[in-house]
Amino acid sequence: MTTSFFPRWSASLMLFLAGCAVQQTPAQLSALAPAAESGQQTLSSDIEWTLNTGYVRRLKKGSGWTKVGRLPQGDVYQPRNDVFTLEGAHIHEAYLVIEDGVLVGFYLPAERAFSPSRLHPAISLH
Amino acid sequence: MKFLHLGLICAVAALTGCAASGPKFAEAESATPKLNADQGRVYFYRNSGIVGAAIQPGVMLDGAEVGKAQPGGYFYVDSGAGSHEAMISTEATNKVSFVLAKGEVKYVRTGVSMGFLAGHIVPELVGPAEASKELAELSYTGAKAK
Repeated sequence: MTTSFFPRWSASLMLFLAGCAVQQTPAQLSALAPAAESGQQTLSSDIEWTLNTGYVRRLKKGSGWTKVGRLPQGDVYQPRNDVFTLEGAHIHEAYLVIEDGVLVGFYLPAERAFSPSRLHPAISLH
Repeated sequence: MKFLHLGLICAVAALTGCAASGPKFAEAESATPKLNADQGRVYFYRNSGIVGAAIQPGVMLDGAEVGKAQPGGYFYVDSGAGSHEAMISTEATNKVSFVLAKGEVKYVRTGVSMGFLAGHIVPELVGPAEASKELAELSYTGAKAK
């Protein structure tokens, strides 16, 4: 009994961790030239939502974002003087992907990948 | 009761030995070389704390060990622009991926999280405002300047 417990336990743990991985598909960012990047835009209200992995993320009203490019899914915004991350089995630096005023997912610059969001909170940048 | 007190004193003494003891951030930074124009800099740090203090794993950047996650300590690594991955392995392996631009400075905080058999040391990206406040209290544990 004791010997079979640990393999089952570790298999369950592996499944649990694999389930928490951040979903991603390769994406080609059409980057804006630095001069064409939008100036700093600010978030008009606090936003809080739950990531697909179960972790909660909060964006503060007044936080600064810069449009740095576009994906087929939407415009890509990088935080100014701050960092934003997705968290699952591991942590990934991420930019917001916004289309028609709603968050549709995230661009992972290190992986050059898109990660869709299950929830689509409205996001207003001015 | 005496045994309890003695045990507490020994535990505190042992854990104090785990803490970083180099120069504080302000002092060490004055001797820190300027960043090369074609590189970025990554600061790795771990706040002081008793929980998990004895667990001080190596910090890997892109597969190479660059330092240790010591409570109360920090160090930095200059690296080329592009994608990077920091990793710490204890009972489990935890990673953080990020990009570094030329001249950019990024901050990776390592902290203790609960594990199944022992604590894990998890790396996470932190913004410059938060990192600057925390780094001020920490001691440099990297290589000595030549």
